[in-house]
Amino acid sequence: MKVYKILLPLLFVVAVGFKYRQTDPWPVPDNYLKMANPLKGDAASVADGKQLWMQHCTSCHGKTGKGDGPKAAQLKTLPHDLSKADIQGQPDGSFFYKTSEGRNDMPSFKKKIPEKEDIWSLVNYIRTLKK
Amino acid sequence: MKQSTTTYIAHLFSVSLLLFLAATSVAQDSTEAPVVRKVRPVKNTFGGVYFMDNQTTMVPIKGSMQMEIQHRFGVVTNGSKDLYGIFAPANIRLGMSYVPIKNLFIDAGIVKEKMQVDLDAKYAIMQETPGKYPVSISAFGNVVIDTRNKSNFLYAVNRFSYFSELMVARKVTETFSAQVCGSLAWMNNVEGYVDTEGKIQPKMKNYQFDVSLLGRYRISPKSSVIAGYEQPLTQHPTNNPHPNICFGFETITSSHTFQVFAGNYYSIIPQNNSFYNQNDYTKGQFLIGFNITRLWNF
Repeated sequence: MKVYKILLPLLFVVAVGFKYRQTDPWPVPDNYLKMANPLKGDAASVADGKQLWMQHCTSCHGKTGKGDGPKAAQLKTLPHDLSKADIQGQPDGSFFYKTSEGRNDMPSFKKKIPEKEDIWSLVNYIRTLKK
Repeated sequence: MKQSTTTYIAHLFSVSLLLFLAATSVAQDSTEAPVVRKVRPVKNTFGGVYFMDNQTTMVPIKGSMQMEIQHRFGVVTNGSKDLYGIFAPANIRLGMSYVPIKNLFIDAGIVKEKMQVDLDAKYAIMQETPGKYPVSISAFGNVVIDTRNKSNFLYAVNRFSYFSELMVARKVTETFSAQVCGSLAWMNNVEGYVDTEGKIQPKMKNYQFDVSLLGRYRISPKSSVIAGYEQPLTQHPTNNPHPNICFGFETITSSHTFQVFAGNYYSIIPQNNSFYNQNDYTKGQFLIGFNITRLWNF
């Protein structure tokens, strides 16, 4: 009986904590979903994107985009594994929108990376993280 | 016979047309139009606005605000007695800077040594751009006020000193960047001595010219090894300053720059270093220093 008294509240806390760290759906406006990537397939852009990724993104998303960066554990919302097929299935415009605008723990980068071309470079690098 | 010949020609024409269309389509796929990118200034020549004891040509983007913490420990020559200078009296600067308009960086700080207040400005005159500008050029200038008690000065203007610098930088390769700088420092007040005839003579001139060379080699997208050399050019009647050799490590994140290094300069105010550096690298008089900056974008 004593064991249940300890285990049940513990399970409750874990369950609530787990739910809290689940990510809510992140709707992307239609105009972004349809947005064409002007730098698609540009090798130089991927190299630029890698530099930006290493500087701005690895602390949370990790080097390979699996969401295992050193700061990830402190976040209220766990970063997605960007190498997974369901994430990679999103259109380029979706990555562009989310990087530019941000939400909750994910900061907006439109001031820190003011040129759209750089955000597209980042999107192109994120594509290389696909498994 | 005639009909079969006509049918044969029709088939041949159809097949040829199909082959032509297929070939054209393949050709179109394999010769995808190359992406035309706008020519833009070169990025990441340096990791931040500071380069150990110097400035870089870099000016952050408009609306950036930066907090600066700079520290210089004592010289390492006392060995374990003061843990290689780490427990010796240190020099500290705390500063805040802002980029109000494109390419203009303004900065203000307070320094422990002589309780100085510095007001600085840097303007990026030219940014290295492929096919347009081969180098980046920036100009830096400051006014420094010594805020110690007035008993230290004969006139209020003696509190003021000035520094101006022209910097030329180039990102030589993706991993290596270099910068050459020429600077002029001016002190309103220099020490004097009374000569044998009873006349007051200055120990130093009021001005000091310097040249410096800096290099940064990136060992990873976020980390670099950095090195620099500064040579005083002006000859003074006494107390000629020594050159500075500095080398260290830099790492950058989205909002921070960290530099840890060893060098001969103890002052953080550049004109004080130019005029008064008596740490001699040939005698191993190096000290450890660090620069930390935190950037916000508004």
